[in-house]
Amino acid sequence: MRKIISLLMVTLIITTSTLAQVNKVTIQASGLTCSMCSNAINKTLTTLAFVSQIKSNIKESEFELSIKPNAKVDFALIKKKVEDAGFFVARMEAQFVFQEASIAQDTHLEIQGSQFHFLNVKPQTLNGETKIRFLDKGYVTAKEFKKNATLTKLNCFKTGKSDVCCEGKHNLGMPLYHVTL
Amino acid sequence: MKKLILFLGFLFMFVLTEAQELFTYTEPASNMAARTFALRMTSTFMPERPSAVVNTHFNPEIMIGFTKRWMCHIDAFISNRAGEWETEGGSVYVKRRFYSVDNVHTHFRMAAIGRFSFNNSNIHQEAVDLNGHNSGIEFGLIATQLLHKVALSASTSYINGTENVGEKFYTKEKMLNRRAIGFTLSAGKLFLPKSYISYNQLNLNGMIEILGQTNVQSGRTFIDVAPVIQCIIKSRMRLDLGYRMPISNQLTRTAPGGGLIRFEYNFFNAF
Repeated sequence: MRKIISLLMVTLIITTSTLAQVNKVTIQASGLTCSMCSNAINKTLTTLAFVSQIKSNIKESEFELSIKPNAKVDFALIKKKVEDAGFFVARMEAQFVFQEASIAQDTHLEIQGSQFHFLNVKPQTLNGETKIRFLDKGYVTAKEFKKNATLTKLNCFKTGKSDVCCEGKHNLGMPLYHVTL
Repeated sequence: MKKLILFLGFLFMFVLTEAQELFTYTEPASNMAARTFALRMTSTFMPERPSAVVNTHFNPEIMIGFTKRWMCHIDAFISNRAGEWETEGGSVYVKRRFYSVDNVHTHFRMAAIGRFSFNNSNIHQEAVDLNGHNSGIEFGLIATQLLHKVALSASTSYINGTENVGEKFYTKEKMLNRRAIGFTLSAGKLFLPKSYISYNQLNLNGMIEILGQTNVQSGRTFIDVAPVIQCIIKSRMRLDLGYRMPISNQLTRTAPGGGLIRFEYNFFNAF
């Protein structure tokens, strides 16, 4: 019992749960050049319930998703939709509105029930609109994912799931997003 | 003449600016989007040799993208080759994309295909054509490389013609000559628009496709070249105009060359 209490206390100390909203997600898809392929992605993204509007840049294969107010964003579902259209995500960025959110290298931030593991950042407090970039496999090109592996030696980066390396050693196997500013 | 065609082909491949892989006579290794279906209507107009009577074939087709990896085509073959309009058969074509290396504006992909065709027309040529002439099965591989400036796709397949519905192979030679190896090479380019602004812009694509077959028993081969002009309308409709010309024709065919017109409409998020 004492162990559980101390574990819970550790969890409370080092995993900061913060109130933050996502107002925009920008993705770049890879593997396409034509407008019909781009339209296939555009059409499948329109089925996302938390998206209010999509702006497409066909030439750069970029899609800017405006998020409905207070909606919970499922980033993994955005990735799945792009892959279902037959392509891959080469870059994903989300614009959050933070309120006093403290981050540092290899710390977690819980936002809307999802864990965000920060990499390549200095200790700081985030306030207002801030863009964060996803670094996990499937959210960047295969080439960049290999390059990003130099940012951390933690095993959770390889699997995309919380591991014994993660702070607090809680919720093992839970999906988490590795991100940077 | 052959050299001129090859020269024009290479010129075509390298002068223009953007790649395009929505091929007409062949399939790329890429699949259509999951939960999407498309309707296609294809007509070919093939002058018969030596009579020059034009055989018209009409192929209505439905394409379904089940998942990101699996898709299929189901089509029917209607033609007036026998003198009056007849529904001669149909086919089911299944494709699985199994390899992808993608970067922004480039990819290399591979897919495996299988096809089953049935046909009730009389067998009238040595070449095995599962697209409206023969019953049979086909298995093959496709590799497609999309680069910024060119899309190249190659395929090879094993084709095994069987007895057509209601008719036997009527000579011993035809019984022996029913196995073939198919091969294709396609290149595609985007002419217009010069710069993408919206999904409503008309896209004009050009392609050159090389289509061939070698009969396993006889060793005889045909090779055709097929230039194609394609319009993409509102990023969901396609209009293809192609013309197929034999450049090597050892393997007997009764109507080896001719024109093609195809219309396709895509229904995204259909199910």
